Amino acid sequence: MEGIVFNIQRYSIDDGPGVRTTVFLKGCPLTCLWCSNPESQNPEPEITWRYTSCIRCGTCVKTCPLGLITLDDEGVHINRKECTRCGKCIETCKPGALQMSGRKMTVEEVYSTVKRDIDFYKVSGGGCTCSGGEILMQADFVAELFKLCKADGIHTCADTTGFGSEQALEKILEYTDLVYFDLKHMDPEKHKEYCGVSNDVILKSLALIIEKKIETVIRVPLIPGYNDSDENISELGKTVSGLTKDVVVNLLPYHRYGENKYRMVDMVYQLSNVPTPTEEQLNKAKEIIESYGLKCEISK
Amino acid sequence: MTENFQPNTSKGASRLQTDKVNAEEIQNVQVLTPRLQKLKAEWEAAEPQVYVDDTLLFTESWKETEGLPVDIRWAKALEKRLLECPIMIREGEILVGSLTKFIRGNGTLCAMKPREILEMCESGKFARKTSDTESTNITPEDLQALKEDALYWIDNIPKVSTVNAALEFDMGEDVFDLLFDRATVFEGRGVRYKMDRGLFQNFGAYGGGVAQVSAACIDNGLNYVIDLCKKERKRMMDEGDNEHSHGSAQFLRKYWLLQATIISCEAFIKFANRHADLARELAAKEKDAARKAELIRIADACDRVPAEPPRDFFEAVQCVRLFHLVCWKESSDRPEVPVGRLDQLLYPYYKKDKEAGKVTAQDAAELLGALWLKIRECENLVTIPRSQRAAPGSLLPNITLCGTDIEGNDLTNEISWLVLEAMAQIKLSEPAIYIRYNPEMDENFIIHALRCNREFGGGNPAFLNNQLGMDRYLERGVPLKDACNWSASGCLGYHLDCMEHVGGGHNISQLKVFELALNNGFDPRTQKQLGPKTGDPKTFTSFEQVIEAYYKQLEYFVPILHKVKMLSLCTEIADGPMSGLRCAMQYEDCIREGLTPREGGARYPEGRSSWLGSRGLVDLADSLSSIKKLVFDEKKVTMEQLMDACAKNWQGYEELRQDCVKAPKYGNDDDYVDSIYDDLSTKVPEIMQRWIDPVTGKKPMLFIGAAAGHVLIGKSIGALPNGRVSGMPTNDAACSVMPGMDVNGPTAAIMSATKGPYAKEYTGYAMNMKFSKSVLNTEEKLQKLAWLIKAFMTRGGWHVQFNIHSREELLDAQKNPEKHKNLLVRVGGYSAYFIDLPPDLQQEIVTRSMHEDI
Repeated sequence: MEGIVFNIQRYSIDDGPGVRTTVFLKGCPLTCLWCSNPESQNPEPEITWRYTSCIRCGTCVKTCPLGLITLDDEGVHINRKECTRCGKCIETCKPGALQMSGRKMTVEEVYSTVKRDIDFYKVSGGGCTCSGGEILMQADFVAELFKLCKADGIHTCADTTGFGSEQALEKILEYTDLVYFDLKHMDPEKHKEYCGVSNDVILKSLALIIEKKIETVIRVPLIPGYNDSDENISELGKTVSGLTKDVVVNLLPYHRYGENKYRMVDMVYQLSNVPTPTEEQLNKAKEIIESYGLKCEISK
Repeated sequence: MTENFQPNTSKGASRLQTDKVNAEEIQNVQVLTPRLQKLKAEWEAAEPQVYVDDTLLFTESWKETEGLPVDIRWAKALEKRLLECPIMIREGEILVGSLTKFIRGNGTLCAMKPREILEMCESGKFARKTSDTESTNITPEDLQALKEDALYWIDNIPKVSTVNAALEFDMGEDVFDLLFDRATVFEGRGVRYKMDRGLFQNFGAYGGGVAQVSAACIDNGLNYVIDLCKKERKRMMDEGDNEHSHGSAQFLRKYWLLQATIISCEAFIKFANRHADLARELAAKEKDAARKAELIRIADACDRVPAEPPRDFFEAVQCVRLFHLVCWKESSDRPEVPVGRLDQLLYPYYKKDKEAGKVTAQDAAELLGALWLKIRECENLVTIPRSQRAAPGSLLPNITLCGTDIEGNDLTNEISWLVLEAMAQIKLSEPAIYIRYNPEMDENFIIHALRCNREFGGGNPAFLNNQLGMDRYLERGVPLKDACNWSASGCLGYHLDCMEHVGGGHNISQLKVFELALNNGFDPRTQKQLGPKTGDPKTFTSFEQVIEAYYKQLEYFVPILHKVKMLSLCTEIADGPMSGLRCAMQYEDCIREGLTPREGGARYPEGRSSWLGSRGLVDLADSLSSIKKLVFDEKKVTMEQLMDACAKNWQGYEELRQDCVKAPKYGNDDDYVDSIYDDLSTKVPEIMQRWIDPVTGKKPMLFIGAAAGHVLIGKSIGALPNGRVSGMPTNDAACSVMPGMDVNGPTAAIMSATKGPYAKEYTGYAMNMKFSKSVLNTEEKLQKLAWLIKAFMTRGGWHVQFNIHSREELLDAQKNPEKHKNLLVRVGGYSAYFIDLPPDLQQEIVTRSMHEDI
């Protein structure tokens, strides 16, 4: 079985307990405005351009057999609609500024990398995390990978937005030790506005996971002006605590680390003027969530 | 389905003290109390000064002792310095023992290198061991005196230390082509850049070996040692010694050595007593009652130690200071005196006082801080040109913590915790801290150590594999009770504490050997045929031929290195004095033997011969990987083209160089190149150890450190197929990844370094890793780093150390050094101020792979 993987990060320290390897899968049905991995949204492999490495030599412009690359003051642009991803421009790019993001890999191929750090998992209780993109889009692949992990005693963590079919979710959960569940907004309309889809499927998925009593961490990116209102946070606390009190809610302060990546795939970042939440804003959200009897932590 | 792995959070077998340590109490101590802040500020503000009193006293003594046995002359020269040098007790000092009369004095001995000192006098530029960024001052009177002293020695150097003459006589002039300043196949103490030497030059880390602070001497007092010497002398006269030595030179030298030991110990005691007298004098004049009490405490302590065992924790710390200082003074050319296992030494005194309510963690922290300042104060002039120095910026007063006892119990104690806290708060480049890592030790202690590293920012502490440190000795027949007593020495070495001689290393540059293999034994640098003709690589049709040619070259050079090493070492032994002080430090063995550790008096011979060092295996593996891939697998270039590109230092071959850079590199857990590294790491030690060490009669101990020697080594080697440009530094440590070459993160780097038992035969097998602060900003993330160390060690790693700072900080420090005077970095086996490092080493540290969060 094959999946489209855009990164395998070893010694990944923010994606679950212990020392972990995170497998990033390409493709996401959501288009969150604040997405910090824009290159993960498109389910197909695509060419990325790293402006810090580019020396503006123009070789790629000359190389592209279809003439789809242009170079202007802002840098390199690729006509992505017509690009066939033949990869010729990547081959000739001397400084390595052009790269292919995402490639087809078999489960075995991915697992052979995951397994390399087994000694680190052993001493730390770590393991493998699948993240994205949205892993439910490649549920069979994830389930297969996790199955291999479990056979060797490797801890598994599914990092998901919950947007996918119940069937897909169940496949993965069978081999999942821990779920990192992203919850972005409680209002279905706002959710649609910011993330491109409504949150009804997401909330259903959450209920299913909780029902199966799988250890879960709810991860809430806190984006000032978008989802940090007292009302939204209260609603979140209320909904989650209605399902269970036995989860941790993890607040992830909004950051702009992903901003530069938009240019890499000819996308436009729309949140440029949003500030990072203040300590005060974070603590307030934390208090609200804790008032529902939930455990809440702020990530650093 | 099997069970998941559980993180090991048990405290294992760690015994008694560990569990009782109150981490909070320790993390709340204030090391830099106001008076220490003042002393530190004074040290930082002080202008470095050249200190001449000791060298003048040495010369005076040497003139007075004309005609006496050399061992006695050496002891008398120490005695004179200890009895007549100026001594200081500064305002606010709670611990005494200054190297010089200046806050920041730099000592030297003209006798050891008169020509170099004269050159300094004439140029007016005095280079210090720790820095070149500031000049060292000297008063006109001292300058004149120093110059005269240097001139006296130039005229009066006795014909001793004839290492070069011995080498030339026995091996021919050509041997010098292999040495330090020419082709640099061998690097080490055989020949430094100057062919003529002073009196016992390098009677420090090299010739005399590293002096070690002896815990047994501190615990028993030097009167005990003096008494043993006297009894042995009497016994010799009453009964004779052993049947072989009657009336022999050896018998006589033992007799004189015992006398030298008595002279040295008595002088040391008097040196302490002089401090007691001065403290009492100051106390009499002191108005402030609290300060008066402190001075009296100093006086009482210096009357007591080192003659008799310390009565309390304070006296023990004061005693450590005095031992370190006197060892320094004796070997003032290249001191490098390790402090030893400080936590083990001090803990019994601390425990007793703490239980009696006489001392608190805060008291101990301040005292350790004071000790830090005194240790850091010691500096010396250095006469090796900066460009040729192996370890710029360090004096190597290493402190070793933790370890296990004979039953395997972990020995971490409250002092271990406090030493780290002191290091973190006081933020000085020295001393370097080494933790003997044991997988059973309290994980909270490791997290504490990493937190201290983060706060300190200078790469301290380093972690050494406790078990492996013992195993190398156990395998050589050292019993467990002694094998478990080891500590770190030099920049990347270690030794059995006061049970062996600690000399420097004799290194072979594997890259030079490889360069010769690539040129059919011909050296492009000296334009001479240095090695055997192992075939013209342009005619090679398989990768195996390339690697075989290299092994053949190595097989040719190892016996030559053994001979150079034997001649250098034994000539120095034959000509040099036996140090009574060093005899005292290892009195249990040396008194009976009548030999100092260097001459064979130490309990174990291993360290007696300096290590056989090997450098450059990572660069070599990477270079072979390029050759295998581009020439033989992909056939993208011919061997001829590649050799031409290297000969032209890539001029006109930039594209090929990029291909070479892109070829698989060590440190990425890539089996393509790691299998080459594996082959080298198995075969090279086998070749290096194929010949017994003529000095010990045993399998040589191997060393693979680079410290900052990689900058120096790099200068003698042309372009290499790994894409390296001629003259650039080679890899920075034994198993670190080439800067900028690891792209798969720290676990992959560790995997590459530990695929086989590579560290087994090598000390110095160090891994430098660099992390940005953001990767370590929470306890949880520190815990994750602790797990990396654990996996590294359980997979058989030997030495790992971390630099924790941001890349921006380093870049800014290159541009604006004045703003980053306190920026500390880990270089090899030591930390140094970044701005003090030469530009090429700075650049190399900036490029060292940094593991970022984003």
